[in-house]
Amino acid sequence: MRRSGDITARLLWAAGLLVLGVVSVYVALPVAIAFVMSFSGGQILRFPIQSWSLRWYADFFGSPQYVDALVNTLVIALGATVLSVAAGTASAWAISRRKNLATGALTLLHMLPLFVPGVVLGLGIAITFGNVRLFGMDLYGTRFIVMLAHSLWGMPLVMMLMETTFRSLDRQVLEASRDLGAGPFTTFREIVLPEVRTAILSSALFSFVVSVNEFYMALFLTTRDTQTLPVLMWLSLRSAGSPRLAVAAVVLMTIVLVSLVLLASGLRRKERVRG
Amino acid sequence: MSESILELERVRLQYGPVVAVDDVTVAVGRGEFVTLLGPSGSGKTSTLRLVGGFEHPTGGVIRIAGRPVNGLPANRRDTATIFQSGALFPHKTVAENIAYGLRMRRVPAAEIARRVAEMLEIVALPGFEHRYPAEMSGGQRQRVALARSLVVRPSLLLFDEPLSALDLALKLQLRAEIKRLHAELGFSAVFVTHDQGEALSLSDRVAVMQKGRIEQIDRPDTLYNRPASEFVYTFMGESNRLDVTVGGGAIRDLQGHLLPLTLEDGLAEGAWRLYLRPSRLHLSEHEPVRSNALRCTVSMVEFLGDHFRYHLACHGLRLMCDVSAKLGLSEGSDVIASWDGADMRAYR
Amino acid sequence: MTDARRRRTGEALGFWLLLAPSLLLLVLVFARTVAGVVRMSFNGWTPPSFYVEDVVLDHYVRLATDPLIREAAFNTVVLAFQAALTSVVLAYVMTLIVWLRPKRFRLTVIGLMLCPLLASEISIIFGWWLVLPRNGLLSYMLVGSGLVSEKINLLYTEFAAFLGLVYAILPYSFFILLSVMDRQDRLLIEASADLGASPLSTFREVVLPLTWRGVVLAFSQALIWAFGIYATPSALGPDTLWTMGQRIQEEMIGRANWPLASAIAVAMIAAIALLLVVMRTVEPKERTA
Repeated sequence: MRRSGDITARLLWAAGLLVLGVVSVYVALPVAIAFVMSFSGGQILRFPIQSWSLRWYADFFGSPQYVDALVNTLVIALGATVLSVAAGTASAWAISRRKNLATGALTLLHMLPLFVPGVVLGLGIAITFGNVRLFGMDLYGTRFIVMLAHSLWGMPLVMMLMETTFRSLDRQVLEASRDLGAGPFTTFREIVLPEVRTAILSSALFSFVVSVNEFYMALFLTTRDTQTLPVLMWLSLRSAGSPRLAVAAVVLMTIVLVSLVLLASGLRRKERVRG
Repeated sequence: MSESILELERVRLQYGPVVAVDDVTVAVGRGEFVTLLGPSGSGKTSTLRLVGGFEHPTGGVIRIAGRPVNGLPANRRDTATIFQSGALFPHKTVAENIAYGLRMRRVPAAEIARRVAEMLEIVALPGFEHRYPAEMSGGQRQRVALARSLVVRPSLLLFDEPLSALDLALKLQLRAEIKRLHAELGFSAVFVTHDQGEALSLSDRVAVMQKGRIEQIDRPDTLYNRPASEFVYTFMGESNRLDVTVGGGAIRDLQGHLLPLTLEDGLAEGAWRLYLRPSRLHLSEHEPVRSNALRCTVSMVEFLGDHFRYHLACHGLRLMCDVSAKLGLSEGSDVIASWDGADMRAYR
Repeated sequence: MTDARRRRTGEALGFWLLLAPSLLLLVLVFARTVAGVVRMSFNGWTPPSFYVEDVVLDHYVRLATDPLIREAAFNTVVLAFQAALTSVVLAYVMTLIVWLRPKRFRLTVIGLMLCPLLASEISIIFGWWLVLPRNGLLSYMLVGSGLVSEKINLLYTEFAAFLGLVYAILPYSFFILLSVMDRQDRLLIEASADLGASPLSTFREVVLPLTWRGVVLAFSQALIWAFGIYATPSALGPDTLWTMGQRIQEEMIGRANWPLASAIAVAMIAAIALLLVVMRTVEPKERTA
């Protein structure tokens, strides 16, 4: 009885580890392979790789089209992050201060855009703002409209994360600050902000990464001049599959990784100061 | 010029149909230590939060140093609260925590440093300036909280159950500390607790609260010895309860057994509840030593550290009796329990 | 009394001021967009203009009758269900391992699952392009190891589309399941074993019921994400494999038929809303000891 249970348990565990191993390879493969291919010296995508070089990196950064797309991606992502963090944090603070039916409905309202597919939002914004002019400029095709579009996903993410964080703050600590003579703004700056710094940085990173990688909305909303790197990659995918795309993929991943590392080191420095 | 530092006049706090504070009127004198004592939900914490400015009354007037403060937020009131959790700012050092209130009052840096150091001496934590709250024990954190409130020299200190999260030894130690500081510094204070021991030991006066109202406010000894109501009596300590009926000049228990009891004042006919503190009972083996006596059997003996508690069965009644030294009585022994009529209280 | 009223007015003002930026975004951009799509779907269409102001049901009739659109809808639903189901099963196995042996696996597996979450869908598509074709890595390795004798091609097959779609939604299933799993007490397993249950009975009687809510949640979330993803099936699957999202892009950009593209979009929103309502009603309540 006991032995057979032991054997089943071991078999199950082995099967589980096998699944884990296969999934690990599956998950790492496309990422790793794009990385390797970016250092290929060949013209075409085939295995085994014959020669190694950095020529495709030189090619990528020498191409105005790709560099422009990279700049567009970064500018749009930064703008969307600022919008998302500002709007999402403010909402989260307001909502977390109260608890009633209305705030439940408000939270749900904030979440709605997350349930709408990017292609639908992209199409809708293109249709609705296609001929809207703001300050004498066409809104459509600008980086600003893409920032707004990406904030529709960034803002709810920030809101969710920050609302949980704000609710987890000790109410008595905030009251103690008021009690000792600090007004609401001083209390927010002196007591709340330092406590939620990590959460704000993480949610900023979140909305930044979402915007850097997003391409359904960007596809519908950008022109040749404002297209982002994922859009440019998508458009060149069928026409010219070259190692240059591998470099583009590596550049996108590097942006994400660098922002992750910046976040982690920023947090670590803070920890050291405190410890 | 008002004699009282704090006056509450028919103060009311109502959330929809729920009345948290029900027409409370009370005054706290300068230098006086007043405790609000009551079970949870009695309105004691709500009353304190109204004084601190964390809630705002739906009726009545609150005056601090003679000035009405209704509607004034916490940061513009001259009160300082010591919270249950301590509520220290976790990202600030001890010194930064204590300095916070002074910085908000734009006190010059040199004076802040001086007063923080002085305050750390007072609460016996010198050398802890650069510690973070997470690096300290619960008792030390509460001392910092105390220092943080004391340093701004508020007109009134508010204590919101500051000892309830501590273990027994620390609780007693810090309680004595607060009493010493009150004697030395002479601050005015309102202290909220559900622990009657704390209330009795610390306070000049204790207000017992129930259902949003003050049942009785008096000096601790008066409160303990002359409770104004059954609620106050039972809340102030453990008691034996005897359910009896009075009829035809005799007192009987609910089963109809005659009880040979004599009270100081005669009781009117009807059902009564008689109360008696366990420490006021005397046990003897042969002759009663006080005027009221019942023959009982020992049903259980509990050892409670500093005293023994005898559980007795007397006809249909059950009594508890606390004695400091162990008697030669085991379970099943017959014993006579006796007490003075004046130690018994009757409510109907 | 006026004090109290002024204070309450001040608080309400602050509340709405703080909410203003996101409410502006939600109303001026999001609500207007959804309303715009719904309105557009009722417009008429006479090429070469993108649309003609009108109120007609033509495009909804086409939704129901056009075999191309029906096929796309069918493909989208089948693919999404397959992928969501597979991703939940895989994610469940992995979260279970992470939950049982957190010291050994937790950080590694979480780091691994962040890959698909942090990489752009387009980068991943490109990665599969390097793995799956006749000259790709997979074929090269299989031939090199002697497992197969001839080069094989998996690109532009339904399997490739399925593989890519599972990849894209796997991290969502994983992290939803992990958060539910993390809330369970591991001692329950020992308690169950102590009472004489075999590992399989413990799984069936204790672990699965406790985490069933996470399974339902992860499945519905994965399904919704899978509905919206069309670049992956379009780039990896055969040319005949059309999905709803791709039809929207084709009608909008390829044929400049805005009203029809909008009608398909409205149908997608409706399907997701329906799914959410259904999931809300079948979703098991969370129980904690």
